[in-house]
Amino acid sequence: MNVVELKHVTKRFDQFVAVKDLSFEVRQGTIFGLLGPNGAGKTTSIRMIVNIFAPDQGDVLVMGQHVSPDLQPHIGYLPEERGLYKKMKISDQLVFFANLKGLNSTEASKRVDEWLTLLELSDWKNKKPTDLSKGMQQKVQFIASVIHDPDVMILDEPFSGLDPVSVNLLKNVILDLKTRGKTIIFSTHQMEQVEQMCDDICLINHGTQVLSGGLKAVKRRYGKNTVILDYEGPDSFLGDDLVKHHNRFPNYSEILLNDGADAQEVLKRALAAGARVNRFELVEPSLNEIFIETVTGSKRVAQTAEVTG
Amino acid sequence: MKKVWVIIKREYLVRVRTRAFAIGTVISPLLLLGLIILPGFLAERGSRGERKITVLDQSGDPALFEAIAARAESPGSRSDSDGEDGGFGGATRFVLTRQVVPPDQDPNDLIRRESSGGEKKDSEKSYLILAPGVLDNVAPEYHAKNLSDFSIRALEEAVSAAISERRLMRAGFDATKIGLYMKPVDLKQFKIGASGESKEGGMRQDFMIAFALLFFLYMSVLFYGIFVMRGVIEEKQSRIVEVLISSVRPTQMMLGKLMGIGLVGLTQIGIWALSTGLLSLFGATMFASQGAKMPNIPTSLLVYFVLYFVLGFFLYATLYAMVGAIVSSEEDAQQVQLPVTLLIVMPMMIFGLVMANPNSTSSIVLSMIPFFAPTLMMLRIAVINPPVWQVILSMVIMVATILGSVWVAARIYRVGILMYGKRPSIAELGRWLRYS
Repeated sequence: MNVVELKHVTKRFDQFVAVKDLSFEVRQGTIFGLLGPNGAGKTTSIRMIVNIFAPDQGDVLVMGQHVSPDLQPHIGYLPEERGLYKKMKISDQLVFFANLKGLNSTEASKRVDEWLTLLELSDWKNKKPTDLSKGMQQKVQFIASVIHDPDVMILDEPFSGLDPVSVNLLKNVILDLKTRGKTIIFSTHQMEQVEQMCDDICLINHGTQVLSGGLKAVKRRYGKNTVILDYEGPDSFLGDDLVKHHNRFPNYSEILLNDGADAQEVLKRALAAGARVNRFELVEPSLNEIFIETVTGSKRVAQTAEVTG
Repeated sequence: MKKVWVIIKREYLVRVRTRAFAIGTVISPLLLLGLIILPGFLAERGSRGERKITVLDQSGDPALFEAIAARAESPGSRSDSDGEDGGFGGATRFVLTRQVVPPDQDPNDLIRRESSGGEKKDSEKSYLILAPGVLDNVAPEYHAKNLSDFSIRALEEAVSAAISERRLMRAGFDATKIGLYMKPVDLKQFKIGASGESKEGGMRQDFMIAFALLFFLYMSVLFYGIFVMRGVIEEKQSRIVEVLISSVRPTQMMLGKLMGIGLVGLTQIGIWALSTGLLSLFGATMFASQGAKMPNIPTSLLVYFVLYFVLGFFLYATLYAMVGAIVSSEEDAQQVQLPVTLLIVMPMMIFGLVMANPNSTSSIVLSMIPFFAPTLMMLRIAVINPPVWQVILSMVIMVATILGSVWVAARIYRVGILMYGKRPSIAELGRWLRYS
């Protein structure tokens, strides 16, 4: 069942088209990655799902219904830019946010306690946000978006500003929510996190969809065209005829091959050049690589279209 | 509507619980009380300054000096003892010393001799010259370093009364009855009330009450209007709106904020009105025994005050909410709020016109303008009793304006709170109105 569905949605602001004929579906109980470069239309799309904007054309359906204020209690939204009231106690703010979602105060404070314990913030319950570190505030904001136990959660950069321990903690919480049947729309620029967590992805650029589907299927579509090579020595053996893109990392290289290039040729040349090869692996491209490839590629396409059109 | 209530509750509690609210609620009425009571209080028992005056007497009439001294040296016997001269300087005590100067000598020489040179310790010394013909038509003269002293009026009255008394004596009037003839006549003032009956009062009291009410209304509307603006900016700047907006409609947010903060203001004003009412009832005798007059503020005036605060607050707070939504920071707001603040301040600059002529056509028209009505109509109600239809009409016009501005503000608000950075132009604001 599709919990969230966008059908040919278009949204304009004056002359600027923020979202153009965008369609995607989010299956229940999955984590859906909504990806795209800055200004691609992600936030506008999300704002249409949470009923902040109305689409100019097309339909936005949540749980089979057109979005309306009635659906708001079923949606939790952690915006990318978020804040807390400076002069209000943490517990008071969270109860306030829960009240706005329709929870009564008794139930709300019970849940606030549970969540604060879960995210290791109990000691800060009666403190004000100014006493908290940025990471702690992030966790409080996360609680504010899930306190009403929504069926659909939209998390925009939920891990920004968190230390690795907190990231792990929050990741487990999110995965736990997923196993409980919640649907999560996850928007981030951290592609490793998408690879770790998402079932399906949709990559948008200039307000239109450029790539979508199951994460595995998307990667498979690109085939095993990437060589992970761990070697010692110069990299001059790599000829332009073979390599489309070359990412050098301190411990290894990620080499995206040209279409039709033979991976074995890379190994041959490396050995011929006298490099010591510690690792050679033919893999699917990383999502990061796919993202860059698709976005820069579509820019090129868009530019050609402008010239010809 | 439940969500609006949740927001109202937050806005209200967060503000009422602050120390600033408690302090503001207590301090302001003390200031108000001070404004009304203090001048009279001071006049009666305040600083009893002393002024040494050397009377250079050329009149040749020792009784004249005695008459002046008797009047000037004991303030209680003066006709202005109830403070009708404005209450300033009424308590100054004069110490008169008589120095007889021969008629052929110029008293100015004497003054020059004493004032010039190094005799600094007597720099406060002043002189009253009673020239030879002072009982006829020659004016007495007062010479002093400081002439901007309100007590001079008291001295003038004492001298004037004493000279008149001496003239009457000289004309052969019965000395024992002169005091009776010369007793000053007070003009008792009565105000015709709405029901047609007259009540003793006075221009001074009316002025004080009207001014105090006007001032408080102006301060409260301005204060709470700016509260709203700052609240909106806080939510916008800290991006709390982003979180809120997936739970409530912007219009609900705005209305909740307006009502919540309005209720804070109403609470404060309610406390003030109640304490004023109680003071009028029970405190009057207490203050009277201290020699000061506690003006009696009619309950109807307090009710109008609350009504016009509510209307004025909603009108201006809506505009301030709009300003808050347009700008991205408090610094930005300084400029954008100027037109709104100007609208509030303007009646404070022209209220004198209305007070002087509360029933003129221009006053009536001015008090109908919705942005001026809270202050100017309130002023007219305090000073005269304008026809009921005028009061109702002003309220109807205000309510209509409020509805209109809420409509506009809501449309600006829902777009503005999600726009950061560059301030929009007027044309852009116009386009925001049309967004769906």
